[in-house]
Amino acid sequence: MKWTGLIALAVLAFALAVLLGPAHVPAAELLRSPIVRDLRLPRAVLAFLVGGSLGVAGASLQALVRNPLADPYLLGLSGGASLGAVAAIALHVGGPWALPLAAFVGALAAMGLVYRLGLVGGAELDPRVLVLAGVAVGAFAAAVSTAIVSLSEATALRNAFLWLWGGLSGANWDTVLALCLYAPLPLAVLFAAARPLDLLALGEEPAGYLGVDVAVLKRWVYVAASLLTAAAVAVSGVIGFVGLIVPHIGRLLWGHRHRALLPVAFLGGGTLLSFADTAARVAVAPRELPVGIVTALVGVPVFALLLRRWTRN
Amino acid sequence: MACGRAEHRATGAGSLAVTDDAGRAVTLAAPARRIVSLAPSSTELLFAIGAGDRVVGRTTWCRYPAAALRVPVVGDGLNPNVEAVVAQHPDLVVLYASALNETAARQFERLGIPAVILRQDLLEDVARDARMLGRLTAHESGGDSVARAVLEVFEAPIRRRVAFVVWDNPPMVIGAGSFLDQQVALAGASNAFHDLGSASAAVSLETIAARDPDVVITIADSDDTRLPAFASAREWQVVRAVRERRVLTLPGALFGRPSPRAAAAVAELRRRLEALR
Repeated sequence: MKWTGLIALAVLAFALAVLLGPAHVPAAELLRSPIVRDLRLPRAVLAFLVGGSLGVAGASLQALVRNPLADPYLLGLSGGASLGAVAAIALHVGGPWALPLAAFVGALAAMGLVYRLGLVGGAELDPRVLVLAGVAVGAFAAAVSTAIVSLSEATALRNAFLWLWGGLSGANWDTVLALCLYAPLPLAVLFAAARPLDLLALGEEPAGYLGVDVAVLKRWVYVAASLLTAAAVAVSGVIGFVGLIVPHIGRLLWGHRHRALLPVAFLGGGTLLSFADTAARVAVAPRELPVGIVTALVGVPVFALLLRRWTRN
Repeated sequence: MACGRAEHRATGAGSLAVTDDAGRAVTLAAPARRIVSLAPSSTELLFAIGAGDRVVGRTTWCRYPAAALRVPVVGDGLNPNVEAVVAQHPDLVVLYASALNETAARQFERLGIPAVILRQDLLEDVARDARMLGRLTAHESGGDSVARAVLEVFEAPIRRRVAFVVWDNPPMVIGAGSFLDQQVALAGASNAFHDLGSASAAVSLETIAARDPDVVITIADSDDTRLPAFASAREWQVVRAVRERRVLTLPGALFGRPSPRAAAAVAELRRRLEALR
């Protein structure tokens, strides 16, 4: 029943994303209109993929660092991505792929640095060190990019933050194809780690006794979740709340088993971001709202409602 | 210089052939040097294209420009005094289109004097005949520039719709609250996002595509006026102006802020929009 509801909701969200938009497209021309074919449809697919990726990355990282406040950007990825994007603009790297690629490289660099810091004091990733390193690296990268922007004359640099605040305006079939080829691998790694992640919730030592190679698990989950997030940042900037709230909603309704939680996080994240992006495009048309604002406006009340129901039980 | 080259080319080609406004084929062995102009409109046009020194006869009514007053009068333009015209030894007679003048034109031709009939009723006719007279007098460039100046009058009222895209992701456009909206109106075009009250606003790419502006304008930080990067982005090709490369990149120094040079900016914007035609 819950599953049927979620799938129905996901289909509805996707359908609305294709059917609704600021431009009026007659129903008879839906399939032929370039506005639908080359703008709405790739954007709807991208919104679903990005939302789903953020949901899965958030759920996995929350399990990894055993911290309910963890979100996909906690580990310094947003800061690294923004530094990459700002550097690309400052160095006048041209072409439509410059910004996404630079953001991706920046996010990967931050990931590498945080990973290295997380290994401090041993061969194993320490979740607490990981969180601290992530926050520190993220803050440092954000500071450097803000310094570049504030010292620069170029309006392009000031506008770089607009892109980083997140949005799916850059969606096209190329970005969709890139993400479709890229995302399945880290997603598969995380789905495969569902059972060990359940055991990790018992604590690292008990998980080890139950046959989980905790050190390897933590590395794989960390790298896969970060790779997923880095790709999401590259194509859509930093979209908040999806990766934080969707996993919690999933846990409230489906429980803590990752075999169910991860697919739920994917479908739920995709659904939330699809609804949010449709609302961002349509609500104040012809203007467009930053989608991150809408995910918070839609996601937080739902979350609060569920939280109340859950605490009452 | 331009006249000299044209003359050279004309003589090199041997002869000049045109079809006049009555549909008659007229051939000159060489560019006309002695012209009798039998209508005020053609007299003014000959002076305007720089061939005034070749006018050796005019009508009583050809009183503009002032220099034309020094040219000998040969009578009226309709049913002209053929004898008085021939007395000026013209190698070209320019007549106004009417039934009587077609008879006169045949008379001149029988006397071995080429005659062209110009029908100048509408403003477009002025442009066409400026080019024809330019050719016949080896003043092609003069004729051309007069023709262009006349045609500009028609082009100015064509209200092009433009969209100022000041940032591409998310797409941000200029609304009615900006000086750019005023400048674009003064330059004879209109802003496709005039309905937005603020100076700028984020809009969906879909909205830009649906509003279908004729030209997309961006403001460059520097004087680097190459096409912006988004012009080659795949999703932007849905916007017709981008797909057809009707993208103007304006230098930020003149257009990046409201300034006392607003008049110069408007003139420059008009010039650049016209250059895109």
